[in-house]
Amino acid sequence: MNINRRKFLEMTGAIAGSSVLTATMPWFSIFNNPAPAGKNASDRIRIGMIGIGSRGQALLLNMLELKNRMNVEIVAVCDNYEQHYQRAIKLTDGKAKAFYDHRKMLDEVEMDGVIIATPLHVHAHQTIDSFKAGLHVFCEKSMARHLDDVKEMYDTHIEENKILMIGHQRLFSPVYLQAMERISNGDLGSITKLKGIWDRNTDWIFYDVPGGRGTELDRIRNWRLYEESSAGMITELGSHHFQIANWVMGEEPLSVMGSGSINYWNDGREVYDNFSLIFKYSDGTHFIYDCNSANKHNGMQFQVQGNEGTMELESNKQFAEDAPPPPAIDELLQNIDSNKSETIPIGGATWIPSGAVTYGGEFISEDWKMNETLLCLEGFINFIREGEAPERLTIEGYNASIWSLLAEEATKTGSKIIRNPKYVL
Amino acid sequence: MSKTYHNSFFAMNTRFHAVFPNLDYNYADQVFHALKMEVNRIEQKISRFIPESDLSIINKTAFKHPVSLDEELFEILSSCKEYWKLTEGAFDVTLRPFITYWNEKPEPQRSTSQLSNIFNQVGMVHLHLDKSNRTISFDNKHIEIDLGGFGKGYALERVDSLLNTHNIKSAFISFGESSILTLGRHPAGDCWKVGLNNYLEPGSSIHEYPMQNSSMSTSANFYLDDNGTLCNHNHVIDPVKGVPVNDFISLAVFCNSSIIAEILSTALLVSSDSVIRNTMEKIEELNVVKIDYSSDEARVIKF
Repeated sequence: MNINRRKFLEMTGAIAGSSVLTATMPWFSIFNNPAPAGKNASDRIRIGMIGIGSRGQALLLNMLELKNRMNVEIVAVCDNYEQHYQRAIKLTDGKAKAFYDHRKMLDEVEMDGVIIATPLHVHAHQTIDSFKAGLHVFCEKSMARHLDDVKEMYDTHIEENKILMIGHQRLFSPVYLQAMERISNGDLGSITKLKGIWDRNTDWIFYDVPGGRGTELDRIRNWRLYEESSAGMITELGSHHFQIANWVMGEEPLSVMGSGSINYWNDGREVYDNFSLIFKYSDGTHFIYDCNSANKHNGMQFQVQGNEGTMELESNKQFAEDAPPPPAIDELLQNIDSNKSETIPIGGATWIPSGAVTYGGEFISEDWKMNETLLCLEGFINFIREGEAPERLTIEGYNASIWSLLAEEATKTGSKIIRNPKYVL
Repeated sequence: MSKTYHNSFFAMNTRFHAVFPNLDYNYADQVFHALKMEVNRIEQKISRFIPESDLSIINKTAFKHPVSLDEELFEILSSCKEYWKLTEGAFDVTLRPFITYWNEKPEPQRSTSQLSNIFNQVGMVHLHLDKSNRTISFDNKHIEIDLGGFGKGYALERVDSLLNTHNIKSAFISFGESSILTLGRHPAGDCWKVGLNNYLEPGSSIHEYPMQNSSMSTSANFYLDDNGTLCNHNHVIDPVKGVPVNDFISLAVFCNSSIIAEILSTALLVSSDSVIRNTMEKIEELNVVKIDYSSDEARVIKF
C-alpha cells in the first residue's frame, strides 16, 4: 500500500512532541517543521556527489527528484572510475562539474554538503576531508573499514561542527516509525529476543571482471569481496540490522560472539559467504543474526519478539502471541469459567464474515510503501538548511558501524568481543 | 487463571481453536501442538494454494500423465469420488473453473458458449483413479482439484483420532467457527450446546443443537458485510447448471463424522429437498437444518 506525503505527515504529526519521538527518533520532526527554503539562487543548497556506482547512482537520481521541490542543486560529481564518471556527467546533463579526485572537487567547487557512496575503506578520509573543507556529509553505511577511522569521522564531525548522516534508510521508514512507537507503548510486552536474517542465493559479484577474483581490477570493482576494502556482508548488509537492533533496544550491545566461513562461493573471495552472530544487551536480551548467500529460503527479516507478540519489521507485520478469540469462543470460555452450560451461537457461513476470525497477523502500518532513501536525503537537505541534525541520528550510524566491526572481530577470533572504552561516545 | 486450556493457530485460511476443560496445562499444550502439527501437515499436502503441495503437483501434471499417489491422498480422493456419487453430483471438487469464471470474468465478457465449454471440460467424470496402480489422471488441463469443501473436515477427523489417542475426554474444537468437533460434555452440562447464529440478529441462535462426541459443519453462500447487509459470494456452484447459488440459504449438518459434515454442508446447499432426503436415508444419524434468509424473517427447515 503506497503512502502519500500527506498521510506520512499526518503519521509523523500524530506523534510529534511525544516522548517516544523525542527519545528514539527526533529526526522525524523535520518533516512537519522543515527549514524555511527560499527560492532564490542564494538560498540554494549545493551538493557534491562522491561515488556514482550502483548505490551512488540511486542516490543521485533521488537527489535529482528533490531538486524540483527543495531548491537544491548537484553542483559537482566525482568518481575515479571512467564509466561512472561519464555516467555522472550524463545524469546531470553536464551541468555538474565532474572530477576524478574528491580533493580537487573540494578545493574548486563552492558547496554546502557532499554525499559519499564509495567503497567502505575510502569513506573515512573522504568524509574527514569534506568536514575540513567546511561541508556537511551524508555517507553511505557502514562508516569505515577500521574502528579508529569510525571514531575519527565522528570526532571530526564534532570538532568541525558539521552534520554527519549515515545512510541507514530504515531510520526514515514509516513502518519503523510506527513500530518503534508501538514497541515503546508496550504492544509486544517485554522484549525477549531479536532475530535478524538476511539470506540470499547470489554470488554477490557486481561486475564481471576478466580474470575474476584476485585481479587488481576486481579488487576495485568488486571491492565488497575483499578484506582490505570491506568486511563483506557484515558491514554491507548486517550493519542495517545492527542499527535496528540498537534502535529497538535503545542502547548498544554489551558483547558479540560469532562465526563465519566461506563454504560455497569459494572463488577466491576473502570475505565470508555466511556468518552467524549473537549480540547481548544489558537486560539479557539476545539479538541473533544470521546471513547466508547460498540459500534464499528465509529471505530478509527482522523479528522483534516480546512475551505478548512479535513484529516482523521487514514485512510490516505484527502478530499477537495469543490471537483474540472470536466472540463465540470467548463466550464459551467465560461460560466454562462460571460453570454455566449455555448455548453458543456459532458459525454459519463458509465464507468468513468481515471482521471475523481470520488471523494472519496485522499490518504495523496500514500505509507503508514510501521511498525511504528519498526521505533520508530530504532530511539531510533540511538539516543542512538548519545547520544541524539530531545527534541521535549520527550516533545510530556510529554504533551500527562500530558493532559491525566488532562483529567481524568476533567471527575472526572466535571470542566474545566487548567494546574498548575508547570507542564509547 | 482459568483451568480451561484454550489456544489457537492459523491454518487453511482461517483459525483453529481448541478448548480443553479441566486438563493439566502442560499436557493440554502438548496435545494442542500435536494437533497443530497434524493440521499443518495436512494443509501442506492438500492445499491448492501451496505450490509444492501434493495436490498442486497433481493439478499441474495429472492431465499430462497419471500421477502416483500415496495411500492417504488416494483414500482422500477416492472418498471425494464416492461422495460425489452419493450426493448425486452435488459434491464435486473440480468446479473451480466455474468459480473463476463467475468471479473473475466481467459480465460483458461472459457468454453461454464459454459456460458450455467449461461444462464439457470439468466434473468428476473427467477425474480417474486407478486403484491397482494408485494413480490419478485428468482428461484435460482444465481440471483443477479444490479440496476447500473437504480439507477442514478431514483435518478434524484426524484431530478427533489424535484426541482419542491422547485420552482427551472433553474438548471443543472450532475450525473457523464453521466446522465444530466436540468430545464428551461441557463441564457444566451433559453436552455442548451449539446454536446456529442468526444472521438477521447476530449473536443470537436461530436453532440449537446439543452436541456430544459429534461434528457440525455449516455453509452459506453469503456473508454479512460491515453494514450488516447479506451479500452473495459466487463460491458455491450448482453443478447441474454451472451457476453460483444465489439464494440466501445457510445449511448445517450434524453427524458423527467431521468429513461427512463438511462435505454435506456444501453439497446439500446446492441440492434439492428430495436429494437431501435421499442422502439422509443413506447415512445414519444425520441431522440437516436449512435456514432461508430470503425474506425479512429467517425460516428454519429441519429435515
